[in-house]
Amino acid sequence: MSTTMSPETTLTQQSLTRRRALQRFGALGLGAAALAGVPTRARAQAKAPVKLTFWTWENPQQRPYIVNRINMFMQKNPHVQVDVQVFTFGDLGKKVSVGFATGTAPDGYATGDWLMPTWLARNLIAPQEAKLLGYPSVDAFRKDHADAFVQGSIHDGKIYGFPLWFYGFANYLNTKQYREVGLDPEKDQPQTWAQLGEIAKRLTIKQGNKFTRQGFKFAMHAAQWTMIQFNPIVAQCGGQWFDTSGKCTINNEAGVKAMTIRASFVRQYGAEDPADTIATNPLPQMDWLKERCAIFSCHPIPPAAIKSQNPTMEAEHYYKAVLMPGVTTDKRYSSCYGFNLVVSARASKDKQEALQDMYRFILADPVDCWEATAPFTMARKSGWTDSPKVKTFPDVQAIIAAKDTGVFLPRTPVWTELADAMHRATQKVVLNNADIKGALDEAAAEVDRATAEFKKG
Amino acid sequence: MLWAFWLAFTSYDMVRSPRFVGLENFVSLSRDPIFTQALANTLVYIAGSTAVILAVALALALAINTRTRGARYCLSGIFLSNIMPIIAVCLVWRFLFHPHGLVNQLLSPFGFGRIDWLTSESLAMPAIIGVTVWRFAPYFMVIFLAALVNIPGEFYEAAAIDGASGLRRFRYITLPLLYPVMFFVVVVSALLCARIFLMPYIITGGGPGGATRVLSMLIYETGFSYMKMGRAAAISVVLFAIAMVFTLLQMRLFMRGEED
Repeated sequence: MSTTMSPETTLTQQSLTRRRALQRFGALGLGAAALAGVPTRARAQAKAPVKLTFWTWENPQQRPYIVNRINMFMQKNPHVQVDVQVFTFGDLGKKVSVGFATGTAPDGYATGDWLMPTWLARNLIAPQEAKLLGYPSVDAFRKDHADAFVQGSIHDGKIYGFPLWFYGFANYLNTKQYREVGLDPEKDQPQTWAQLGEIAKRLTIKQGNKFTRQGFKFAMHAAQWTMIQFNPIVAQCGGQWFDTSGKCTINNEAGVKAMTIRASFVRQYGAEDPADTIATNPLPQMDWLKERCAIFSCHPIPPAAIKSQNPTMEAEHYYKAVLMPGVTTDKRYSSCYGFNLVVSARASKDKQEALQDMYRFILADPVDCWEATAPFTMARKSGWTDSPKVKTFPDVQAIIAAKDTGVFLPRTPVWTELADAMHRATQKVVLNNADIKGALDEAAAEVDRATAEFKKG
Repeated sequence: MLWAFWLAFTSYDMVRSPRFVGLENFVSLSRDPIFTQALANTLVYIAGSTAVILAVALALALAINTRTRGARYCLSGIFLSNIMPIIAVCLVWRFLFHPHGLVNQLLSPFGFGRIDWLTSESLAMPAIIGVTVWRFAPYFMVIFLAALVNIPGEFYEAAAIDGASGLRRFRYITLPLLYPVMFFVVVVSALLCARIFLMPYIITGGGPGGATRVLSMLIYETGFSYMKMGRAAAISVVLFAIAMVFTLLQMRLFMRGEED
């Protein structure tokens, strides 16, 4: 989808009479004279036209907000014209890679924080100036954002990514189905994976070999989701993806324990049907929205998304977001991840500056951003969490806590290889009952080969 | 194409300039189980699809060639599968092969339980081959049909006078006269299958666990997801070599045909 927006379009929509035009020219003259002492305004008027290309990802709530803010930015800065292109979430990274290879990369783009090492390792993105982003210093910028998040966007003391949304996964319970089986959504929230397994088993309904309702399920459609859902279990089990030498360690004892938990919903509790999940709708939360699955761990789900798929569920509000379970009750954390606005290192200096102006403008009103995209939380700490609009949002405590306590996805330049290897290993284990250690050994070996090749350059 | 050949001997991440590495990409591929699996999958897919396409296309052509009433309509109906948009075909088959989809529902009266066609390591490739046959067999059926129509009726009349049964007439007249066409079908369908991409990509995504990942998918992943264009080019060279074998066979076939 390509949207070229021009401020001229909106201006020409207004019909101008001669008198009104003269009045406006007069007012403009007076205004210009009055503002003559304001250097920034004068500079803006004198600026040469800048044409920017910007790529972002498709999301029914987030994309319109970004596009709308860019539209407003262009109206305020008539010398800037932005060509916005939107790609699917999974495709954006690949499109950008190909763009860099073919000389058609955008001047700026939104990117998942897990891809930052990929761009940084190849010097594809340019540093941004704290002042242009609205902060007096890099330190002030750092303090205003979640620590773990800016670790990925600040490199060698320079800002490379302007953080946008940042959120963790929560467990979404269907409270109506909970009550149907005699569970209390408040008291019986699953706090450990074992508890979740037992509850999911109770919520599962089967007719022969067909699941009418899965108690709980993991997403199976994309490597990215496999990683997001598996990553916290690895951390909770005390595991790490890589050791200090860069060797993949997912096949160690902690990794095996984590995969055993991951597979237990199929093997031990019989509460999920991964073959059905992989073969149905690519929208991972669809089964939960359609009440074919009682519990699903997911990023914040906007009420509009629930309403569009299940109006009754939204109208009667029989759902609840709670923290993810842990291996033990004190380890109830999920994966968290976010998005950065970055600037291509190949963009000219004036384009880089205009982009940073635009980025600051996109997130200039965090409360407005929350209203338009809630409950997608932001990486920025200031300016929104105290708003009554945020505080009164249902389950907002759990949603914010998921973000604040979450563990990040591994930051590695071989991220894609790692995610694909783990996706294959998971498929082998849960779909074909493969030996867990063997599947993880294969995955780790794949990742090590990719790392070795990357190091060779 | 020459550029791709050159890239196969380089390390190229699509950002920095290609760096010559000699045979390193090929050596690395030979030690990579992912590549070996994709190569094996490709060969199994080519062999399986080609064999079944040959049998089904011939059987369909023989059935249509009986010139019974309605055969022409059957021909049109069967050929529809070949002209449908490939993406629509793949999506429809995904639904048909769903654990509770139409294929399993049709099989259930015969005592079959739930079959996980697309998520079982042993069944996913046969399922993809099945879709390929459904898609391409009608195309080759038309080629067989054209060859069958060209067999002089006198041969069959003479055999009938000698008391040859239908099966013997097929074995000793039809089949030998169809050999050149069969060879053509084998070569062309193998070439077609060697470069298949969309079917496994859309229907199984190469899964489960890489069981249906063919070389063309691996090229795409390696080049565009992992940004290893030199390595992707090396895999392309291997795929090119496979396609070249069939192309040379096809060329020899045509040359022999012209000599005859």
